[in-house]
Amino acid sequence: MRELKYAEAVRAALEAEMEADESVVIMGEEVGALGGVFTVTQGLVERFGEHRVLDSPISEAGMVGFAIGAAAEGMRPVVEIMFSDFVLLALDQIVNLGAKIRYMSNGQFSVPLTIRMPGGGGTNHGPQHSQSLESLFAHVPGLVVAMPSNPSDAYWMLREAVRSDDPVIFLESKNLYFRTSGDIDTRTGPEGFAASVVRPGDDLTVVTAGRMVERCVLAAEELAAENVACEVVDLRYLWPMDTASIEASLRRTGKLAVVSEAVEFCGWGGEVAAWAGEHCFESLDGPIVRVGSERVPIPYGHELEDQVVPTTERIVAELRKLADY
Amino acid sequence: MTQIASPPHPPEGSFSGLPIDEADLPTAHELYRGMSIVRAVELEIEKMHRLGRMSGSFHSSLGQEAAAVGVCSVLRVGDMVTSTHRGHGHALAKGVPIEGVFAELFGRSAGVSGGRGGSMHLHHRTSGFLGENAIVAGGLPWAAGAAWARRRRGGDDIAVAFIGDGGFAQGVTHETLLLARFWKSPCLIVCENNGLAHSMPSDRLFGAPGTIARTVEGAGITSRYVDGRDVVAVAKVARELVAHVRAGSPAFLECGVFRVRPHSLSDPDYRYRPKTAGRDWLALNDPMANLRTRLERFPGNEVARIDAEVAADVNAALARAEAGPRPPATDAKSFVYTSPELQNRA
Repeated sequence: MRELKYAEAVRAALEAEMEADESVVIMGEEVGALGGVFTVTQGLVERFGEHRVLDSPISEAGMVGFAIGAAAEGMRPVVEIMFSDFVLLALDQIVNLGAKIRYMSNGQFSVPLTIRMPGGGGTNHGPQHSQSLESLFAHVPGLVVAMPSNPSDAYWMLREAVRSDDPVIFLESKNLYFRTSGDIDTRTGPEGFAASVVRPGDDLTVVTAGRMVERCVLAAEELAAENVACEVVDLRYLWPMDTASIEASLRRTGKLAVVSEAVEFCGWGGEVAAWAGEHCFESLDGPIVRVGSERVPIPYGHELEDQVVPTTERIVAELRKLADY
Repeated sequence: MTQIASPPHPPEGSFSGLPIDEADLPTAHELYRGMSIVRAVELEIEKMHRLGRMSGSFHSSLGQEAAAVGVCSVLRVGDMVTSTHRGHGHALAKGVPIEGVFAELFGRSAGVSGGRGGSMHLHHRTSGFLGENAIVAGGLPWAAGAAWARRRRGGDDIAVAFIGDGGFAQGVTHETLLLARFWKSPCLIVCENNGLAHSMPSDRLFGAPGTIARTVEGAGITSRYVDGRDVVAVAKVARELVAHVRAGSPAFLECGVFRVRPHSLSDPDYRYRPKTAGRDWLALNDPMANLRTRLERFPGNEVARIDAEVAADVNAALARAEAGPRPPATDAKSFVYTSPELQNRA
C-alpha cells in the first residue's frame, strides 16, 4: 500500500509501465526537465533518459500524429497534452487517423497509444483551460475514453491504458491532482471496464464520472441525513460504458440521475439517460434527471464557475426533487 | 547551402531529360514499366467510372507518374510510404498489387483494405505502403513517427511521405518537419508541386517552383527541387536524399509536376483554367512519352514488350478484381478495435 496523491498516482503508473516495457515512451510539452506543468512526469527523464521522455515542441497535431505513427510500428507512446483544451489542435490526427486506421486498413494496424490530459474546471484557469471535452471523444468509434475519479483508479486505469492495444483518451482531473490522495495497492488492482459503486443506496441511482464523483458522494451524504439513500455509480469509462452496472442499480432504485461536468446538452449524460429509457423503462419510477454544465464557456472565478458547473448544492437540490417525485 | 533553382510552372519547355547510358537501360526499363503500370491502371479506373462500374471519387495522378515511380524506385520493400488522396501512383510504385488496388476500388473483399477504404484509403503493409490519408498532409506525422519507431527498434528502414503543394499550407506539415529534425526521424517528405491546390495556383500561394524547397532548406532541412517530368532525374536526386535519410536525418524533395486531370472526377476545372490545359500540357510534356522516346533510341529496347506485358497484367487484374466477391455484411463492424473484448462491444 502506498498513499499517493492523484498526480503522484499517475506518475507511479507511468513509472511501472516504463519499467516493464521498453517500448513505452512519453511525449509531451515540458515533460522533461520541467516534469510537466502538473508535476506528473517529474523525475522521469532523469530516471529513464531523454530517449524515453521526449520533450515536444508546441505542436500538438504533429506530436500526436507522430505518436500514432510510432504506435502503429510497435511503440507504446504515452502522450501528455498539457491541458485537455489543447487536444483540439490534434483532433484530426486522433479522429481521422488514430481512431480509424485499424478499421480503414482492414485490421493491418493497431494503435497502442495513450493520450493523457487534464480536463475540467476547479482551478481558475479560465475558458480555454477548463473544458470537459469527454463527450466529444465518447462519440468517436475506435477510441476508449477513461475518466478516473480517484488516485487508485488513476493508477490502475492508466496502467491498463498503456497496455491496451487500442488508443485510449485518458482524462485526468487537474482539480484532483493535489487535493485528493488515497491508499493504493500497487500489486493488484481492478482490471477491465466495470463501473464502480462508490456508495451503495436503494432510493435512487446517481451515475457520474471524473471530478463529479466527489460532489455526488457529498450530495449523497447530505441526502442520507434526510433518509434518502443514493447509490453513486462511478462509470470510470465513458466508452466502453458499463450499462450492466447502471441497469443493475436502476432495477433496485427505480430512479436515475446523471451528473456530468461536461456540457449537459448533447453530452454523455444524455446517452446514459436515453439508454436507460430504452432498456430500463419498466424499472423507472420517475423522470430521468440530467445535471450537467450549462451550455456556456467555463468562466474564470469560482463564483461564476459555480453558476455553470454542477455544484454539490445543485446536485443535492436535483436529487432531492427526484427523491420526492 | 545549395542553391535551389526556380524553373517555370508548369514544368514545360525544353525537356530532354538526363542522358541514359547503355548501362542504365535495365533501370530505365523498370522505371518505364512502373510508369506504364500507374498510367494504365488510372486510365482503366477512369473508364470504370465512366461505365458506372466504380463509384465514389477518384483523384487521378495522370502526368505525375515520374515523381511516384522515381522516388519509390530507390526504396526497399521494408521502407514505408504514406500518401494522399491522389495516391494510386504511390501505392503501385511501392509495389502494392494491381489486383488489390482494383478490388479495393470495386469495393470487393479482396481489396487491399477489404473494400472498406476505397480510392483514398489504400493500405498494404506487406509492400511497405502504410497508406493514403485523405486529409491533406495528414500522413506526414504518421510517416515521421513510423520511421522514428523503426529506427528505435533497431532497423534502418526509412519512411517517405508524399504531399502536394496544397499540403504545404497545412500547419501539420511544418510541425512534422520540426519534429522530424528535432527527434531525428529518418523520413523523406516529397512535395509534388502540381501547380494547383485544387483550384488555387501554387505560384500565387508559394511563389515560383523551388520556393517550397527553399523554404524548407531555410528551416535547416536538406532539401532539393527536381523537374518531375524526368523520372531518371527524380530517381537520381531521390537516391541521394534517401541515402542522407537512411543515415539518420530527414530530407525534403519538391517535384515540379503538372495535374493533367481535374482535381477529381466531378471537378469543373474549366472554371479556373482553360479547358484544354491538361491535354495541351500532356501533348508536349508527357513524362512517359519522353522516357519512351529516349528508350527507343536504343536498338533492342524493350518498350513494346513492356507495353504489352503491362496491358495484359492490368487487364487480367481488372477482370479478376471485378469478379471477386463483395464483403459480407458482417465485415462492416469488424476491426474497429484490436482488443477482442472491445471489438465485441463495438
